[in-house]
Amino acid sequence: MCGIAGLHLKDHTYRERLGAMVAGMLRGVARRGPDSAGVAIHDDVPDVPDVPDVPGVPGVPGVPGVPGQAVPGVPAAPGAGLTVFREVGDPEEFAARIGLAGRAGVRALAHTRMATESAVTAAHCHPFVAGEERLCLVHNGSFANHATIRRRLAGLGIITETDNDSEVAAHWLAARRAAGDDLTTALRRLTTTFDGFFTLAVTTADSFAVVRDPIACKPAIIAETDHWVAVVSEYQALLGLPGLADAVVFEPEPEEVYLWAS
Amino acid sequence: MGELSGTTAVVDEARDEIVLDLAAMSTREANAALRSLPDGARARLDNPAGRHNLAVGLTRAVHVRIAGPAGYYVGGLGAAAEVDVDGPAGWGVGENLMSGTVRVRGAASQSAAASAHGGLVVVEGDASLRAGISLKGGQLAVAGDVGRSCAFLAQAGTILVGGDAGEALGDSLYEAVIYVAGRIRGLGTDARVEDLTEADVAAAGALAAAAGFDHVDPQNVTRVASVRSLYHFDTAHHGAY
Repeated sequence: MCGIAGLHLKDHTYRERLGAMVAGMLRGVARRGPDSAGVAIHDDVPDVPDVPDVPGVPGVPGVPGVPGQAVPGVPAAPGAGLTVFREVGDPEEFAARIGLAGRAGVRALAHTRMATESAVTAAHCHPFVAGEERLCLVHNGSFANHATIRRRLAGLGIITETDNDSEVAAHWLAARRAAGDDLTTALRRLTTTFDGFFTLAVTTADSFAVVRDPIACKPAIIAETDHWVAVVSEYQALLGLPGLADAVVFEPEPEEVYLWAS
Repeated sequence: MGELSGTTAVVDEARDEIVLDLAAMSTREANAALRSLPDGARARLDNPAGRHNLAVGLTRAVHVRIAGPAGYYVGGLGAAAEVDVDGPAGWGVGENLMSGTVRVRGAASQSAAASAHGGLVVVEGDASLRAGISLKGGQLAVAGDVGRSCAFLAQAGTILVGGDAGEALGDSLYEAVIYVAGRIRGLGTDARVEDLTEADVAAAGALAAAAGFDHVDPQNVTRVASVRSLYHFDTAHHGAY
């Protein structure tokens, strides 16, 4: 499994409440990924993020030899604030430790991980961040041909930090963007380049996008109001969002790229 | 207040319902309490909050109302029970249903009525991908649209779609029959449109009536069934086997 949650604000109504909304969404997908968690929060003003000291946590029971690791915050990119936290351990405790509910922003991704193909460490946690524009990606699913694509990227001088399959997709998308693709085009190409199961949510400094594999193996629900659009793995992760009763709720079609830009 | 299979339950006397508050109990506690009810009992689950596996494996003729959104597999594996969901439902609503009814008063996610052997699953909104996958004799009625690959590998039973059907309808179909009131975006491999007989009109009409769909005219549905070329041995192709 794995749980994903993404939130994009269409105006500033809920800017100060973004973290609280995402914290509720993360709680709603916590059971899908109990071994680690991560969030990426975009702000629309350049800032130096207030990064708390995130302590390492003990290794996950049943995964021997994996020490707890924390990646406490990635510095903001010039021109756009981006803060990323990733950590091994219980997603709800993670959210409390980073003070997620008190954080403001305009766009965020969250992920809860149940590792199936690579180690349980903070470096293997989502969201993965790649490229000059600091594109962020969360993934529920698995890629079969990530090793082949990783080698191709290495030939271009693009080196992934880990052996994680999802990280390859983040770097590949960033490479396509650097080659001139808009995000929709890059994601369309991804659906024919990557073999496997995926629901992906992707953010950049100004965009929020969702795409699923050709047979939509992994769940995804989108809810949209005048003020926000959210994607989650399970409906229960939407339940605390303001105005949900009047939201348009739908499941994204396979291979269709859904994109919102600010 | 009264004890019900070790769980504290409240009786709503006006509605003659036993009320279980899911905010205060585990899914196992709630399901154990429901399974302990006698034939004819009525129960309501409050605060479901999209939780999975609610009202599964019920084997008595009880009526269970889920007062809000349900998660995966709601009403699955049931026999004889009547389960109503007052909201949307997640994956696999009524999965492997044996008999009885599961009704969703909203949209259903993927694989509604998957592998249902008997009984009736009603979705009053739209159903997502793979509705009726591997249906084994049950009935599925969807008031709105169904997504891609509806009735994939369906072996027996009947599906009624009150709205439109997505791509790959009836792919690799065996002996299940599909009736579609709206448009069909595309047929799957080994599925075809067939002439509507009087028996089909009666079957579609009976299913629409059971589901309470008055927007479906059984005289004007499209019948989709199997070409039967995929699962029959053909001596002309013996070299390929």
